[in-house]
Amino acid sequence: GDSWGIFTFLCAALCNLPALPALNCTEELGTSQSIQKTYDLTRYLEHQLRTLAGTYLNYLGPPFNEPDFNPPRLARAERVPSATVDLDLWRGLTDNARLAANYRAYSRLLCYLRALDGQEGTAELRHRLGHFCSSLQGLVLSIAGVMSSLGYPLPAGPAGPTTPPGTPVAPNDFLKKMDDFWLLKELQTWLWRSAKDFNRLKKKVPPAVVTLRLEARGF
Amino acid sequence: DSHIQYERVGADVTMKCGSMDWDAAVTWTANGTDIDPSHLNGSYLILKNVDLTQSGQYSCYEGSSWRLKYQTYLRVGMPPKEPVLMCRSNNYPKGFYCSWHLPTPTYIPNFFNISVIHGTREMVCEKDAFPKNRCHIRYVQLFSTVKYKVTLTVTNALGKNSTTFTFDEFTIVKPDPPESVVAKPVPNNPRRLEVSWQNPSSWPDPESFPLKFFLRYRPLILDQWQHVELSDGTSHTITDAYAGKEYIIQVAAKDNDIGTWSDWSVAVHATPWTEEPKHLTTEAQITETTSASTSSFMPPPTTKICDKGAVVGSGAVAVCWTAGLVVAAYGVLFI
Repeated sequence: GDSWGIFTFLCAALCNLPALPALNCTEELGTSQSIQKTYDLTRYLEHQLRTLAGTYLNYLGPPFNEPDFNPPRLARAERVPSATVDLDLWRGLTDNARLAANYRAYSRLLCYLRALDGQEGTAELRHRLGHFCSSLQGLVLSIAGVMSSLGYPLPAGPAGPTTPPGTPVAPNDFLKKMDDFWLLKELQTWLWRSAKDFNRLKKKVPPAVVTLRLEARGF
Repeated sequence: DSHIQYERVGADVTMKCGSMDWDAAVTWTANGTDIDPSHLNGSYLILKNVDLTQSGQYSCYEGSSWRLKYQTYLRVGMPPKEPVLMCRSNNYPKGFYCSWHLPTPTYIPNFFNISVIHGTREMVCEKDAFPKNRCHIRYVQLFSTVKYKVTLTVTNALGKNSTTFTFDEFTIVKPDPPESVVAKPVPNNPRRLEVSWQNPSSWPDPESFPLKFFLRYRPLILDQWQHVELSDGTSHTITDAYAGKEYIIQVAAKDNDIGTWSDWSVAVHATPWTEEPKHLTTEAQITETTSASTSSFMPPPTTKICDKGAVVGSGAVAVCWTAGLVVAAYGVLFI
């Protein structure tokens, strides 16, 4: 399981972020394998997130760590990109739109997560967050790789690991925690959605002649 | 005129004979049978600590004229206990259904009302014609972060009760079991069984929402199951079946990424192909059972010294057995 995160992170490091056109790692594998790899990465991240979210919500304390905590969404929470979409609209997305939506969402989610990182919290929590951010960075690059191999332009995204501009600082501790709660929730939902997005993409893009069976089960 | 009257089990019931005075002379009947006057207090009928058997039609007649003055139907029952509610999506991403029942009967008519709230929006759960206590909802949005809150209220003449179930879209996904499970022996392969099945017909879009499968099988004579998880395809060949043994096989399904496993499919039975001629069958079975009881997980006795080759034939086994006996006999002689 851990090898995926390290692999993609190394890939990113070697491929000289954020200059993406020279993404030699994925080009050689072929588009179909890239999509499979991206799919596997979303599954890995979803699994990692379960542990991370559990730890983080416990750190936030009640009511955030209660299983049936079901707060109403406040307007400010809409800044976090939502995976929610109308069913027919989702079905009808073009490959480009589907990939772009994923790319945009994870780029922004990564920024927010990085803002979370480095603040208070236990050493264990900071370590988990750091590891997760690296893996998530890998996912963003993986998606970018698929897009470029299919000839799609990359959507203009955030510049890098800085706090996104225009994010109002939460006026109090509780609202800040609410923001964190929704961030993790949206991230989880996006990972569930991405698995389905990449399933659809897998079917539509013809597989390459040589099939590389990437054994990525059993996370 | 006629009424219906609902009373709790164990309650004390007083029935008045319509507008008749307390001291009027009346006769009460229960389902046509006269009631003993000891149950009367004046013209009032007193039923203490009523039970279910006392449900029925009660009529009151004026003493001398036998005119019907009052009639009521007594239904003895109970207020509803907390209902049991479950919701499940076996047709993801189309929607989900909820079904409910009462843990104990009330013996009187009950009315159910279900409400589904998603964030700020109230959704309509359409009642199914059959089964009765069930309704379904179509998803409007997919991949929602907001939980669904389903509240079921049950009301009857003696009280009401309710229960609530709150859940995330992904957690209630549970497909129906795979259909048309078929297991067949493979000709000339005594240790193989070919199993095939189909996606449950209720799963609307296996292309975009592929299912993965879990197969379990065991010979009827053993308790321990063997498991295989399959991430694609709707068939599998078992290659380690015990020769000549009847197997029981089941399959379950799950969305590749979310939700829970379906219930097990209907069980199918199959026996691997064998070539044993009829007259040697009994002997082979005895030998096989003997070796099976001494070491339950050993494969059929093909790997003994006197093995004739890869064929698991009863002929080879019989020869082994007799040869072994001869050797044993010699051994006894030498001791």
